[in-house]
Amino acid sequence: MTQAILQRIANGDGSAVQDCLTKYGGLVWSIARKMLRNSDEAEDAVQEIFVDIWKNAGRFDESRSSETTFIAMIARRRLIDKIRYATRRISADSLDDVLLEPFTRSDKDMQVGLEAEQAAEAMRNLRPEQQQVLRLSIIQGMSHQEISEATGMPLGTVKTHARRGILAVREFLGLGGSRISQEVPA
Amino acid sequence: MSEEQRELLFDLLTKKAVYGLDETEQQQLDGFDRVLVTDEFQSLEMTASAISLAGLETEEPLPAHLFSKIAADAQSYVGENAADETKILETNRVYGRDEIFADRPSRSWFAWLGWTAAAMACIALAVNIGITRFQKNVEVAQERPPVEIPKILTTAELRDQLLSSTTDTIKAAWTLGNVKEFTQVVGDIVWSDEKQTGYVTLRGLPVNDTTKETYQLWIFDKTQDPATPIDGGTFDIKSGGEVVIPVNAKLKAKGPQMFAITIEKPGGVVVSKRGKIAALAKVETPAG
Repeated sequence: MTQAILQRIANGDGSAVQDCLTKYGGLVWSIARKMLRNSDEAEDAVQEIFVDIWKNAGRFDESRSSETTFIAMIARRRLIDKIRYATRRISADSLDDVLLEPFTRSDKDMQVGLEAEQAAEAMRNLRPEQQQVLRLSIIQGMSHQEISEATGMPLGTVKTHARRGILAVREFLGLGGSRISQEVPA
Repeated sequence: MSEEQRELLFDLLTKKAVYGLDETEQQQLDGFDRVLVTDEFQSLEMTASAISLAGLETEEPLPAHLFSKIAADAQSYVGENAADETKILETNRVYGRDEIFADRPSRSWFAWLGWTAAAMACIALAVNIGITRFQKNVEVAQERPPVEIPKILTTAELRDQLLSSTTDTIKAAWTLGNVKEFTQVVGDIVWSDEKQTGYVTLRGLPVNDTTKETYQLWIFDKTQDPATPIDGGTFDIKSGGEVVIPVNAKLKAKGPQMFAITIEKPGGVVVSKRGKIAALAKVETPAG
């Protein structure tokens, strides 16, 4: 069986660095551009993200997630940290589209991993309000307060949809969590 | 835990996975059980990452100058020049600067042209940064010290954390089931009723063909009719060596007495016919 790129990096295989950048560079860059918008900030962030990836490669566990999701998780950690120190910017012209469009991916050829495909399917099965809140928060980067103002939903309702929505997607993905999470009313 | 506490916990965990927390919120989260929080958070964080990937409409290529710079910088972390505190080499192989990509398949002339262009772009960018951004970067660095990103725990580390932080954890060793071809299955399972969390450690369970079958864990609990044990989740074995898999119990277990791993159709079953039992683990002693 082919060894995962991250396992090769963890084993000190220098050639895996280029393979990792070839396979995941565009993905990390696209996530950074989506979350930060500003090119200069995204360039700085992507360099920091790959340092995090080199350092954490040995922690990748293929029984828990795909390599793509693991790398996206590292990228999001770094980007969330950066965003907390900067003003969040949302593309206002895209907001109406986001509020209205169904959950589909336009680039069918893009390789985003099994969990992402399943997450898209899980999102389509959510209640429309939950789907909308997750889309605006996780994909568009809007705060709960901003979502409340944009949609007219009370803030508490937004939080409830976010919590129940993400737990439902997690359940669909079979990503676990302890029994206690299943006791939260859905 | 009351319903209100659970809702607060999952509001905080959801917020942390999506936006990060401020100091006050993090302090609130620190008031909850550490093992529970870590396990729940990592799975929610993965879920948020999968959703964000699903929402990516297009993938832009990584700019060539950035590709080259990151690849060059990587030598500080992967290879013989790796800094001690971040060194992650596990093999004895040593890579030199010229060797780092030497074992790659031969490249086309156009690929090398691309590298040359990327290197030139890098030089141009460096000059540009030096002229226009150096002062700004210094100011940013002074305003905001580097933040340490929390460590991502492996499943094996989560298992260790569970063992070290609970007193009710039970442990049972795997023994062979009724599949004659399986002769080398070893390992154990740990489980905490209090945390409703557990981990399966296995060596020797063969790689399964995921298009035809999957492994499924069952929990024989004292509160449950033995005919209908609790579904502990399905899993696949993708490679040899030791694996640690989190238990995904579909019902609350309040005193497991035995665990079993069966071979089922992909996706698992609600009730197993127990035709192929890959391994069994009878609870005899508390974990230690």
